[in-house]
Amino acid sequence: MAGQLNFNELVQNERVHRKIYTEADVFDAEMEQIFEHTWVFVGHESEVAAVGDYKTITIGTQPAIMTRDEDGRIHILMNRCMHRGSTICQAERGNSNYFRCWYHGWTYTNRGELVGLPYAAGYGTSFDRNKFNLKRAKVGIYRGLVFASLNPEVPEISDHLARTKHYIDLFMDLSPEGEVEARCGTHKYGYDGNWKFQMENGVDGYHPNFVHQSFFEVQGKKLGRKVMKLFSETSAYQCKDLGNGHSILDMAPQRKANRPINNILRGAASKASTDLYLDSLVRRYGEERTSEILGASNVNLAVFPNLLIIGIQFRNVLPVSVNRTDVYLTPTTLKGVPEEINIARLRAHEAFYGSAGGGAPDDVEMFNRCTAGLRVKGAEWLELSRGMEREHPTADGSVAAQITDELPQRAFYRQWRDLMCGSAANIKELRPRSVAVID
Amino acid sequence: MPSLSRQLAEEILFEEARILDARRYDEWFAMLTEDMIYWVPCNGDGIDPNREISLVYDDHARLRDRIDRLASGVAHAQSPPSETCRLISNVQVEQTPDDTTVISSAFLLYELRHSRQRLFAGRYHHRLRFEDGRWKIASKKAVLLNNNEVIDNLTFIV
Repeated sequence: MAGQLNFNELVQNERVHRKIYTEADVFDAEMEQIFEHTWVFVGHESEVAAVGDYKTITIGTQPAIMTRDEDGRIHILMNRCMHRGSTICQAERGNSNYFRCWYHGWTYTNRGELVGLPYAAGYGTSFDRNKFNLKRAKVGIYRGLVFASLNPEVPEISDHLARTKHYIDLFMDLSPEGEVEARCGTHKYGYDGNWKFQMENGVDGYHPNFVHQSFFEVQGKKLGRKVMKLFSETSAYQCKDLGNGHSILDMAPQRKANRPINNILRGAASKASTDLYLDSLVRRYGEERTSEILGASNVNLAVFPNLLIIGIQFRNVLPVSVNRTDVYLTPTTLKGVPEEINIARLRAHEAFYGSAGGGAPDDVEMFNRCTAGLRVKGAEWLELSRGMEREHPTADGSVAAQITDELPQRAFYRQWRDLMCGSAANIKELRPRSVAVID
Repeated sequence: MPSLSRQLAEEILFEEARILDARRYDEWFAMLTEDMIYWVPCNGDGIDPNREISLVYDDHARLRDRIDRLASGVAHAQSPPSETCRLISNVQVEQTPDDTTVISSAFLLYELRHSRQRLFAGRYHHRLRFEDGRWKIASKKAVLLNNNEVIDNLTFIV
């Protein structure tokens, strides 16, 4: 039972207990204490670009629908008929201003209002149909990223994102129009393991030289230089704890202004297109900001609890059960750039990511191996102490450490523990059991 | 250019299947033209690879990288490797106006890895060109039935 698990003991400053990955009761508690209380990433505005567009999503394990109404506003409706419980929307995406439950014909607008009640007289005169509008989640949007919350008291999205906003801005500003689009498909993979493995791994600067050795060797041979130094003990790259459980592998400090473009494009776009693109950035942002944008153009950013922004992608980590996780990678294209630039981004993404990529499947293999290994009893702890002694505060109020340190994982688990114990500084009222839905 | 009978087309596809099931990737690479594309679309069929993401969209150079990586001995998602057995059927030869001939076929592919067997199904579209005295693969598109679903590991060659 969740009540018998002491999350303060399972998650300590320098280590975490294997039960947080293996116990179904912990998973159930996470779905309530974390996924019903904080902001959960669900998609990007461009996925429902037109009036009437919708996309089915999940908040934790709960089905929902992201819609855009005729006023252009985005809503998140719980995908559950208020009559007898059926889901009302079956398609992954589409366009409709109404959703009809085909069990008994109840019909709702894409704002969630019940507008169709077949043979209504049978419900008598005292029936209040206003009580049967769809349940809705709170919507938070930042630079096109859409977050949902089932907690009416959740802090503003801007406060939740805190210092990640600086890096999200840099990601979006890679477009000279300041906008990206997530309309070029989704890579979907999964693994037999806990969702937290993927969140830890997305900002783990210690693993690349081992898990991705095969990729780096092939790239290094082509480029004629060693790429493995970047994730070694001598690297000047940093990782940062950005607060609220968020963190980043910050690879900007060592980058020269002319280098990052190669990292995005891997030399795949022509010089003409690249020059055109760079000129448009400088015209929009000026030299200094352009340099900063490009320097940060290959980040690994973790937004607690379920979003990773890596390379060109939004990575949505979808918990299915304690030992099953789906992961959706939605790559982005930049608005206002030569087509060749976006093609180069897609090709670079495919080389490493997705079920057939040269990198991500090797991470997935490790998650499966962790699930197998954690069946061992007697070795109860996973060690996350690397770099504790070299953490240091930075000018922007973050805490930084060397790229190979486990600071991001410690940051994640501090927020995890606070939410699970009901003591998170930024989420005040945590009810022990809740079906906390707006309306 | 000699014409390609269905029997000859089948012989080429069966030979390719045998080579891929044996993971003799260098031998497979030699069956390909230098301007080839190996394409596994994602999120359905009929996508534009320049506007939408694919599971694989390899030209000759990227495919070389893929094969070199698989041969590195530290490609963990293929350690142990996927054992595969593919059946090819419903072979149809379509003449095309250019110098290539398109063969479409249906496939079933069993994959065994870590004691778990998975089944993939789909359609192949091979474009063949007669080059240096033999038929070579100028492009291969593999449309998986489940390419819009979660696929945990597709690091073997489809």
